Amino acid sequence: MVFSIVTWVILSCSALELVYLLYLAWSSTRVPKLVLGDVIHFLYPVDSSLLASLVDPAADFELRWSLSPRSFREEQRRRMRLYRELLGRMAHNSAVLAEFDNAMHGNVAGPGSKLQEAAVKVRLYCMFSRGKLRLWLWLPSAFDAVVPPKLARLRIAADLDGLKVYEELKMAAAEAFAQLRPAELEALTHNL
Amino acid sequence: MNFLLQCVPTGLLAVLLFLMLWNRAYKVCPLFFTYVVFGVAADSARIAVHGYARPFFATYWITEAGYCVLGILAMYEVFRAVFGVRTWWTYLIFPVIVIAAVMLSFVHACAVPPQVSGLLLYIVTAEIIVRFVQVLIFVWLGALAAFFGLRWRQYPLGIATGFGLYATVALLSTIRFSDFGTRFKFSWGVTSLVAYSVAVMIWIWFFRVPQEEEPPLDPKLVAHYIAVLEQYMGWMRRMR
Repeated sequence: MVFSIVTWVILSCSALELVYLLYLAWSSTRVPKLVLGDVIHFLYPVDSSLLASLVDPAADFELRWSLSPRSFREEQRRRMRLYRELLGRMAHNSAVLAEFDNAMHGNVAGPGSKLQEAAVKVRLYCMFSRGKLRLWLWLPSAFDAVVPPKLARLRIAADLDGLKVYEELKMAAAEAFAQLRPAELEALTHNL
Repeated sequence: MNFLLQCVPTGLLAVLLFLMLWNRAYKVCPLFFTYVVFGVAADSARIAVHGYARPFFATYWITEAGYCVLGILAMYEVFRAVFGVRTWWTYLIFPVIVIAAVMLSFVHACAVPPQVSGLLLYIVTAEIIVRFVQVLIFVWLGALAAFFGLRWRQYPLGIATGFGLYATVALLSTIRFSDFGTRFKFSWGVTSLVAYSVAVMIWIWFFRVPQEEEPPLDPKLVAHYIAVLEQYMGWMRRMR
């Protein structure tokens, strides 16, 4: 019985994905693509220094020593919410850049670009980090009994260094912009 | 079944082999290229001994075993190529998929014991394992492509799609239709043949064009555009 259900679920997923790929093949020529102008307006700014300061072990240590336990808990929750917001922006930016990369290459067959690889890493990191953060934020009562978790522990999630992978994404995005035609580059610099 | 109908996949595989050579795809997917070369050779051997019962029997089962080994190796290659993240836990995904496929195959073998014995039993079980691996990896890669917005027009995803389609139909025929008994023997043969031909046509469609590599970049230009990007990000910060 279980075997039948599992088999049917797997085969149904496979059939759905075949339909999805057919849709992608159809939509690649019909659905309007993201253009450079869209990318500029869709990206959310991520403050690198704020990002680094939030996952700095020294900041955790300093706050723990300078604040009362109650104030520290409140401050730590505030920092967690801030970090969650930044993670959301990072994930959003990586998704926009991946879509832009797809639009740029259009129907050209090719391997996953550096930009896509970097975007995958950022999204994986954000997914795992946000999962941890949600768990920590959903258990407020536990903080009264136990010490609030160190935000610095979130620097590495799913074996990926958050700051490093985001820098890689920025580098890859810069390379992708460098590959644009002069007119498109002009459009980018014009908006700065 | 019509002998000519059985030659259709061989002809399509030969076309695919030509396209892979023409577009130098063997550099991108060497294991899948080996699979295609083996496929053409194996099908040619089967055609050559067609009509001779004992040689055909031996050739068929030996080549089936070869298909199993190369099928799983090609899927491993596809899996590594599409999922570029290299961390310790990503190395566990493929073995977990294989273990899941082995378990599903054994459950199926217990529920519906194959009508063969000895070495052939192992080959048939291995075939079902390979089909499960192919379907599971296709499902996994398709989910990744949808979630991460990966570029779908790349050789590895094309290979996974072809295998996914064929394995889905083969599993449906083997596992679900087996409930109906021998009445579906003919349908099984035709369905498998058609599904495999469609799978090869999918591969042909993906391999009909060369896969373009990213051109190397001028480091000075990259440095300049990193500066431009930083400037842009600063502008965005001020805006908000």
